[in-house]
Amino acid sequence: MINPRIDRTTPVIVQGITGRAGRLHSGLMRQYGTKIVGGVSPGGKTREVNGVPVFADCAAAVAKTGARASVLLVGAMQLLAAMRDAVAAGIRYLVTPTEGMPVHDALKAWRLCRESGTLWVGASTPGMAVPGEAKLGFLPDDSLTPGPLGLMSRSGTLSYEAGYRLARRGVGTSVWVGVGGDPVKGTRFADLVPFYADDARTGALLVIGEIGGTDEEELAQALTAKRFTKPVFALLAGRSAPEGVAMGHAGALVHGSHGAFEAKRAALEAAGVRVFATLNELVEGIASRLR
Amino acid sequence: MYLLEHDAKELLAARGIPVPAGSLVENADAINTTTLPPGPWMVKGQIAAGGRGKAGLIRNAATPREVSEHARALLGTTLKGRAVESVRVEQRIEAAHEAYIGFLLDAAAGGVRVMLSASGGMDIEQAPRDLIQEEIAEPEARSLTGCVHRLALRLPADIGPAVRDAGERLAHAFLELEALLIEVNPLFVLDGGRWLAGDARVITDDNALPRQKALESLVKDRVAAYPDVARKHEHGFDYVVVDPDGEIGLLTTGAGLSMMLIDELRAAGLKPYNFLDIRTGLLRGETRRLAQVLKWIGEGKNVRVLLVNIFAGITDLGEFARLLVEAIGAAPQLKVPVVARLVGFGLSTAREVLAAAEIPLFVDLDDALAAVRAHLRK
Repeated sequence: MINPRIDRTTPVIVQGITGRAGRLHSGLMRQYGTKIVGGVSPGGKTREVNGVPVFADCAAAVAKTGARASVLLVGAMQLLAAMRDAVAAGIRYLVTPTEGMPVHDALKAWRLCRESGTLWVGASTPGMAVPGEAKLGFLPDDSLTPGPLGLMSRSGTLSYEAGYRLARRGVGTSVWVGVGGDPVKGTRFADLVPFYADDARTGALLVIGEIGGTDEEELAQALTAKRFTKPVFALLAGRSAPEGVAMGHAGALVHGSHGAFEAKRAALEAAGVRVFATLNELVEGIASRLR
Repeated sequence: MYLLEHDAKELLAARGIPVPAGSLVENADAINTTTLPPGPWMVKGQIAAGGRGKAGLIRNAATPREVSEHARALLGTTLKGRAVESVRVEQRIEAAHEAYIGFLLDAAAGGVRVMLSASGGMDIEQAPRDLIQEEIAEPEARSLTGCVHRLALRLPADIGPAVRDAGERLAHAFLELEALLIEVNPLFVLDGGRWLAGDARVITDDNALPRQKALESLVKDRVAAYPDVARKHEHGFDYVVVDPDGEIGLLTTGAGLSMMLIDELRAAGLKPYNFLDIRTGLLRGETRRLAQVLKWIGEGKNVRVLLVNIFAGITDLGEFARLLVEAIGAAPQLKVPVVARLVGFGLSTAREVLAAAEIPLFVDLDDALAAVRAHLRK
């Protein structure tokens, strides 16, 4: 079973730490409480960033720091190679915020992770977090407060907005996983159902989905198959999007009736999920149920 | 990107997949009937969406005069919000058996779904599932062609070999083009086993564009046919006009939140003009991207107000506000009032900057929407 739970003792490296995003976010993650133990920059001459050592590859980083998770902030065309480096070094938890990973590369990465038993969150993800403990990626601190709501989302900004409004209403999150907006991704909604079902600190689940792909339909099946008993809430974006147009996320492309809004809503409702039409209704609905 | 049939066929033909002789026509008056392939013909409206046959965008022509008439009738019509800006005039293939081949990148299965059927045609989606032979393969040549061979063995002996040959070539094209979907329906199988791709539905991966030179030049050469992809490739962010008659210009970041905002505006009876994921994290202290977007939104003939909605996890809103004010100054095309809703770090500086520019700032989205409504009522 996939278990995305980390805590403040999980040792984490940042691949691409000498880049602009790597420098910024290694600092911000550490400020939040994540135990950043080092970074990787192939061929780079920099020895240290934000007070942690920089290594030439993951094998060296793991040997010196005992890193168990990696946040990869490298270019889209370099991402597959960097993931291979991490997996070869024995790292089994990868978070890849990089946008624009070629889909055929993502498919190869998916197979690599599956065959090696690696948990991969991404690509095109804002990251994941266990509020109050640690975050991998760049979820905004304003949206993160500890609480009973498991949260998984295909959209970054929409989840920030929902998390922020819920936090202001006193509803916090247990484990937040941004699965990312790409069609081929390391972790899909359905993959996380067994974890949220068993996780004692999760009392309910919020799913933020969108048009395109089949993630929501698979989720509905998984919830039914698992006999998931905790309350599940959902918000779906893209009700009014035209067919065949990618609305920013590569995954949010509707082809014919596949991935259309109504099909997703019907599938989720049949699985007992409460689907909301607007952010306000979602926040009010969850707050009145959980507070 | 969803390729127009004509472009898909040219790309496939260049990779050893035979297609009926044809050419692209953008102006019905420019059809040179002397250079048409031997008739009869098909006149096929080119739009990037399925269901063209049922919508009447594909017509038979027995004479050159009918070719011109159909082209004239089809050019300029719209289907699913897309205008037919070109037609493909091609030789009609008669007395052929119609089979089906599809390669679909199946994200949930983590592989490529290979689909073969001895019976293709317009209603393949409604065909009984047992008519389609399918299997998941890995995204590499040996696995894909091996899969094609196995599946083709299950087809009738007079069709199987042609489908196998076509499937093998299409498998290589699928990998070479880094396609998400290649569907040939119908695949014409002629007596003697010769075959041609009667139609071609090809969707390629925009993310791979930087390393797909043939596709990259297609987008560059035919900007009018692929405006959204061309724009994204050139500028690095997503902008789509969702309603040419829209009244509310949107300056937004984040695909999901931007889509949701459009949904909520429409549900409330309002008319958003565009979708935008500007990616505030990539502005890098420059107004170029913002000014460009404001210019585009300024082209909306009915746009009467600009709503700025930024939920910034890590963007410094003070800096963003400064760039916004500067960009508005640099985009005289946009003559409409601005309503801003910002949340995140640097809000107090943003408040001062926007106040100095007389732009109202809200933290609650509902308050901002009320201000937008007030402008629309004026």
